[in-house]
Amino acid sequence: MSPYRARRVAVTSPQTRLAHSQRRHDRPWRRPQLRPGEAERAQVVYQRQRRAAATALVPLGALILGLPMLLGAFPWLDDVRPAGIPLSWLLLAVLPYPALLALAAWQLRRAERVERDEDRPA
Amino acid sequence: MIALLAVLPVVVATVIIGVRGVVAMRSTSDFLVASRRVSPLLNSAAVSGEYLSAASFLGVAGLVIKDGVGALWYPVGFTAGYIAMLVLVAAPMRRSGALTVPDFAEARLNSAALRKLSAFVVLVIGFMYLVPQFRTAGLVLSVVSGAPYWVGVLLAGAVTSTTLALGGMRAATYVQAFQFCLKLALFIVPAVWLVAVVGQDTREHALNPVPYTAFERDTRVDFQVGATLVVERATTVRTGDGGARTLEPGTHTLAPGEVLTFPAGAPVPVPEDRSPPGDAAWQRPLLDLQGAGYPLLGTIAVLLATMLGTMGLPHVLVRFHTSPDGRAARRTAAITVGLLGAFYLFPGIYGLLGRVVVPQLYLAGTTDTVVVALPGQVDSGLPGTAFTALLTAGAFAACFATSLGLLLVVAGALSHDLAPGTLRRLRVTVLGAAGVVVLLALPAIRLDAGVLVTWGFTIAASTFCPLLVLGCWWSRLTRAGALAGVVTGLVASAGAIAVTLFAPPVGGWLAILVAQPAPWSVPLAFTTMILVSLRGQAPPWAGAAVLQLHVADR
Repeated sequence: MSPYRARRVAVTSPQTRLAHSQRRHDRPWRRPQLRPGEAERAQVVYQRQRRAAATALVPLGALILGLPMLLGAFPWLDDVRPAGIPLSWLLLAVLPYPALLALAAWQLRRAERVERDEDRPA
Repeated sequence: MIALLAVLPVVVATVIIGVRGVVAMRSTSDFLVASRRVSPLLNSAAVSGEYLSAASFLGVAGLVIKDGVGALWYPVGFTAGYIAMLVLVAAPMRRSGALTVPDFAEARLNSAALRKLSAFVVLVIGFMYLVPQFRTAGLVLSVVSGAPYWVGVLLAGAVTSTTLALGGMRAATYVQAFQFCLKLALFIVPAVWLVAVVGQDTREHALNPVPYTAFERDTRVDFQVGATLVVERATTVRTGDGGARTLEPGTHTLAPGEVLTFPAGAPVPVPEDRSPPGDAAWQRPLLDLQGAGYPLLGTIAVLLATMLGTMGLPHVLVRFHTSPDGRAARRTAAITVGLLGAFYLFPGIYGLLGRVVVPQLYLAGTTDTVVVALPGQVDSGLPGTAFTALLTAGAFAACFATSLGLLLVVAGALSHDLAPGTLRRLRVTVLGAAGVVVLLALPAIRLDAGVLVTWGFTIAASTFCPLLVLGCWWSRLTRAGALAGVVTGLVASAGAIAVTLFAPPVGGWLAILVAQPAPWSVPLAFTTMILVSLRGQAPPWAGAAVLQLHVADR
C-alpha cells in the first residue's frame, strides 16, 4: 500500500446501498462539543464570519432588487442601443453574471481571510 | 431517425455508466472513496452538470418567446442562488457532516420528527422538479421524431430508473463534470452557428421585435399538446389531411395532435389570456407574471424564489459533500457561479432568434421546444439536421443528469428517512418513484418546464432556506420552531401553487402572489421559526452546535 492510499477516507452517502449495508447511519447521535478552550476563539470566528456574511448580502440584495427597479424606473434604457442591442437587455442578460462572479470572489476571499486569521489574537 | 441517432448515444452512455457503477462498487470501495479528494473546480463542474436541467437547457429560451425578454431573470436567480449558498450555508453545511437536509436536521437539532418532515419536503421538491424533466423528454422526442408524447416520458422514466437500479451514479463526480462540459458545448456551438447563418434580416428582427399579429408566410402549426385559441377574423386554414377548414371568429379548442396550416397574411389567433410575443410589454426587461400588470413585483418574486430556493435543492446539496472540507465547499460554490454564468449567457440568443424564426410555437403552447426546433427551420440541409441532433442530445443529457440525481435523492428519502424497514430496498423504491413521476408527467404536458421547476425552488425557499440559514447561524433555534417554520412554509407555498393549478384564476397583484408565493411565504416561514423558537428554550449544547459549524477544519 502506498502512503497515498492510506490517507484516503471513505465518504458514502447514507442513501447508497453500501452505506445501508454498513449501517453507519445508525450511530447514536452525539451531543455537539467544542474542545476545551476552543469556545472563545470559535465565538470570535463566528462573529467575524457573521459580519462578513451580512455585508456580502448587501450588494447581493442591491443587485437582485435594485436592477429590476432600475429597469422599471428608467424605460428609456430600452431605447439606448449600443451596437443595435437595447441597453436594458444587456443589463439583464449580460451584466449580472460578471457582477455575481465578482461578488463571489470577494466574499470567498473575505471568508477565507477570517479563517486564516483564526489563530491570531483578535 | 435523426432523433434516434441523437438520443441513442445519450441513453447508451447513461446505462453503461450505471452498469459500470455496479462493477466499481462491488470490486472496491476506492470508487466511492475518491470523492473526498475532488478539487473545487472539478466539483463545481459536477454541481453545474447536475444543476443544468431541462428547464435551463430548453425552458428559459421557451419562456423568452412566451413571456418576453424578462424571462431572462430566471437564470439570474438560478446563478445568484449560489452566492446565497456561498455566503450562508456552503461551509457550515459541509462541516456539519450532513449530506441531506434530513441529515442536517438530525445533526443540528437531534429531532426525528424534523428528519421525517424534511424527508417529506425532499419528496415534494423532488417530484416537482422531476416531472418537468420527464415531460420535456417526451415533448422533445415528439418534436424531433414525431413519436407520441408518452413514448419519450416512458423512455426517460425507464432509462433513469434502470440506470439507478443497476448501480446508481451518485459517486460519479467525473461523469457529472463531463456532463457539464458536454451541455455547455452542445449549447454554445449551435448558438454561435445559428447567429452566423440566420442572416442579417433575422438578426435585425430579433433585436427590433414587432408584435406577432399576422402570419408572414404559410405557417404550419403542430398542436402537439392541444390549445385554446381566440380567432378574431374568420380564417381558412388547411388541416393535416389536406382539407380546408374555416375558423369562425370566437374561441376554438384544438385537440392534441391537430395540425393546421395558416395562410400568409392571415391574422394570428391569440391563445387564451396571452399577449402576442414582440409587443411593447414583451420587450420590457421585466417579467410580467400571469399578465397581471405588475412586472416589478413579478420579477422580484421569481428572483427571490430561485435565489433562496437553490440552497435547499436536495440533489445539489449532496454534491457539496464531495468537497474535502468547508473551505473547499465554499470555493466550489464560488466557481459554480462562474460556470453557470457562462452557460446562461446563451438562452437569450435562442429565445430572441426563436421569436423571429418559430413564433408559431407560442400558438401551439410548445415554446419549450424552441431550442431543438430552431436549426431545422434555419437550415434544411445537413448542418441543420446535425445541429438538431446535437441539441436533442444535449437536451436529453440535461434531462437525464438532473433526473438521476433527483430520483436517487427521492428514493433515499423514501427508503431511508420516511419508511425504513418497509421500503428497505432502494432499487424497488427507485422504480416505484420513477413510475409515479411518469404518471404525473403524462397529464402535465401543458405546464412549462421553467414554471414547474421554479415552483420546486419556491417550496425549497419556503422550507429548507429558513431551516438551513437559521440552523447554521442562530443558536436559539429550537426543534419546535424549526418544525413549525417548515410546516408553515410548506403549507403556504404548496397551497398557493395548488390554488394556481386548480382554483379559478384571480387577477392583479394577487395573481402574482398566488402563482409565485415566495415574497410572502419565505418571510412567513422565517418569522414562524423565529417566534416559536423564542417562546421555547434551546438545549444547552445549541451554542456549541452552531459554533462548531464555523470553526475552520483542521
